[in-house]
Parts: sequence; C-alpha cells; structure tokens
Amino acid sequence: MIEIDRDKLIRCPICEAVNIDKSDLNICRRCDSTINNKKESSTQKSWAYLITAIIAYIPANLYPMLETQQFSKSESSTIMGGVVMLWEHGSYPIALVIFIASIVIPISKFLVLIYLLVSVKHPIGSDKKIDKHKLYYLTEIIGPWSMIDVFVVAILAALIHLSNIQILAGTASTAFALSVFFTLLSAHAFDERLIKESA
Amino acid sequence: MKIENEDMLDNYIICQMCSTLHEEVPIADGSRACCSSCGAVLYHHDRRLIENGLSLSITGFIFFIIANSFPLVKIEILGHEQFITLSKTFVALFENEFYIVGMLCLFLIFLFPLMIFLFNIIIFALLKLKIKKEMVKDLLILLGHIKPWSMSEIFLVSILVALVKLIGYAQINMGLSFWGLIIFVLIDLYITRTIHLSEIWMLRKRIFKKGEI
Repeated sequence: MIEIDRDKLIRCPICEAVNIDKSDLNICRRCDSTINNKKESSTQKSWAYLITAIIAYIPANLYPMLETQQFSKSESSTIMGGVVMLWEHGSYPIALVIFIASIVIPISKFLVLIYLLVSVKHPIGSDKKIDKHKLYYLTEIIGPWSMIDVFVVAILAALIHLSNIQILAGTASTAFALSVFFTLLSAHAFDERLIKESA
Repeated sequence: MKIENEDMLDNYIICQMCSTLHEEVPIADGSRACCSSCGAVLYHHDRRLIENGLSLSITGFIFFIIANSFPLVKIEILGHEQFITLSKTFVALFENEFYIVGMLCLFLIFLFPLMIFLFNIIIFALLKLKIKKEMVKDLLILLGHIKPWSMSEIFLVSILVALVKLIGYAQINMGLSFWGLIIFVLIDLYITRTIHLSEIWMLRKRIFKKGEI
C-alpha cells in the first residue's frame, strides 16, 4: 500500500498515463518519456519559443504573402492586404476565414500563452483553475488552423504558373509558417502542472 | 487516497480538457465515458478495438494512397489546363526555393499523416498477433509525438479556400484525389475521436499480460 496525494497526480503528455508527481525527475511509468522534469526550464522554453514566434509574426505581416505576376506586371499583397482585397471583391466568407486564421488565431494565441505564462507565476485576481485548463486546451486545438493561409499560398503557387500568369509565394509565408511552428512548440513546452499549482 | 502499487494508477484517468482526476469504471460495450465536470470524452469501451482499429487504418491508408496518386484539382485558365497533386504543393515550394515552408508542408500534410496510418496498421497487426511487445511500445510513443502535428484536415479546408479565391478567374474541376482526401480526413477524424491513445496502451497491457512472452 502506498499513500498518494490526489493533487500529486499528473498526466503523461505522450501516452496519457497517470503518474505520481515526484516533482524533480518524472519519468513516465508506462512509456519512459520524461515529463517536463524541471518546471523552471519548461516555462523558460515556452517563453523563448513564444518570443521567437512573436518576432517572426512581424515580418509575416510586413512582407508580401503572395506575388501575382500577370503579363510582366507584378503585384504583391500582404496578409492584411489580401484580406482587404477579398473583402472589397465581395468574398466576405473567405476574407473572414483568412482574417480569423491569420490574424485572430495567432494573436489570441500569443495573448493566451502570455496570460498563462504570467499568471502561473503571479496569480492575477481570483481566476479559477478550470478556466485556465480549458483555455490551454482550446489554444492547442485551434492553433494549427492558422496554417490555412500558408497552405492556400502553397496550393495557389503550385496551381498557377503559366507563362503570362504566375503566382509565387512571398517572403511572409516563410515567416508566418515559422511563427505558427514556434507558437505550437511554445504551447507544447508549457507545463500544465503549473496551472494546478498556481490555483 | 491509497493504492496498492503504482501500476494501479492505470485505473485512473485525467481529463485532457480540464485535468480532473477520474477513476475508470466499467462501461457497456460501444459506449463512452465523459468527464463529470466538463463533458469531454474520457474513454470508450470497444470489445473489438483491434479489428475496428485495424480495418479503419487500412481503409484510411488506401484512401491516402488514392489522395496521393491522382490530381486533386484541375483548373482551366486562359485556355491552359493546370492541375495539382498533393505532392506538387510542396515540390513547387522547393522549386521556388521556399525550403522552410516546403519542409513544413512535406511533414505536416504528407509524412506525418502517412506515418500515423502506417504505425496504426503495424500496432494493431502486432497486437492482433500478440507479438513484439517492445516494438508496439516504441511505435505508440512515436505516435504520441507526431499525432498533434498531422494537418490533413486543415489542408483540405485550405484547398476549398484556394478554390473559392479562384472562382471567376478559372474553370474548376475536382479531381479523384480530392474525394479520396475527403474520405481520408473523415476516417482520420473518426479514429482520433473514437480511439484514444491510452486505450491502445491499455489494450497492449491486457494482451501481453495474459501470455507473458
């Protein structure tokens, strides 16, 4: 018989097994993967990825996402420019999809991660812990959807390359893809145990 | 809370959405257990998990091959016909020297989905044959790592968005692969929703406990 504290149980992020939190070095009893053994470094890692993602998000919005070459005339549009153009052409649903996927989701994900990372260290007010778990879970679920714009650019670039009309991917697509990638890494690096402890 | 040994922790489950601890209770075949505080699905009971899992993964794999072997979309623009295949999307990026985006696309929409289905087939086949306990473990760990990184469904929505953008400029025809990709994505979503990784782990435990090899 061993006595364990209900609050000292954690879930292995890889195999979902329930483990006892030994706080220092946690190795999952089922799949042998290490479960964020140092909380401090997991927060730092998460911050580092997040800051990289935010930095990459700046050129993603300044440089052109898409370059259209039509009869030797070249036109390029940024993410926001593309959304505005679609809106003016009357394709409201698509403009909204792109706007949500490339602007709303990344920015709200940055804000949520910043909020989580700050609030586990300095609890603000009397926020309940269940909300934070849900918040984290939701960012994990909706995060990848911001890749839509990158895929759309890839599809258009592959589809349209005639001699007189050509669509090329722009510099922003690399920056944007990297930004999404690092945001995902940042969310993965975040240690859910911290939410429990701060509550 | 008292338990006999660490192994008994397998009777417990932590909700992935709200992190509440639950004790697993036996449920009827074909039903599922939901979290009492947030309603998320915790686990399912499927007596024929191996057979269902194996047949679903093989079907999905076949549709993945279909989705990769024919054109996804054909368009007619200024009298020229153009088409894309799944692999052409990232090959074109490589040709235009967008190596980073190309690599990401290669992994997110091709390699990871492919690996997930191949691993599923191998895992269920090995469990069915009751052999290679360690290999099943390694594959399950790998599966746990790559599962969050598969983005077929997002790619499918992206195709639709790209096509709506082209309406008015070009004549659009859906290719055979497009339908293949839709079915593949549906199967992928169905597997993710109905077979949780922890259920396969528990299945592995039960199978190899009976006949220690």
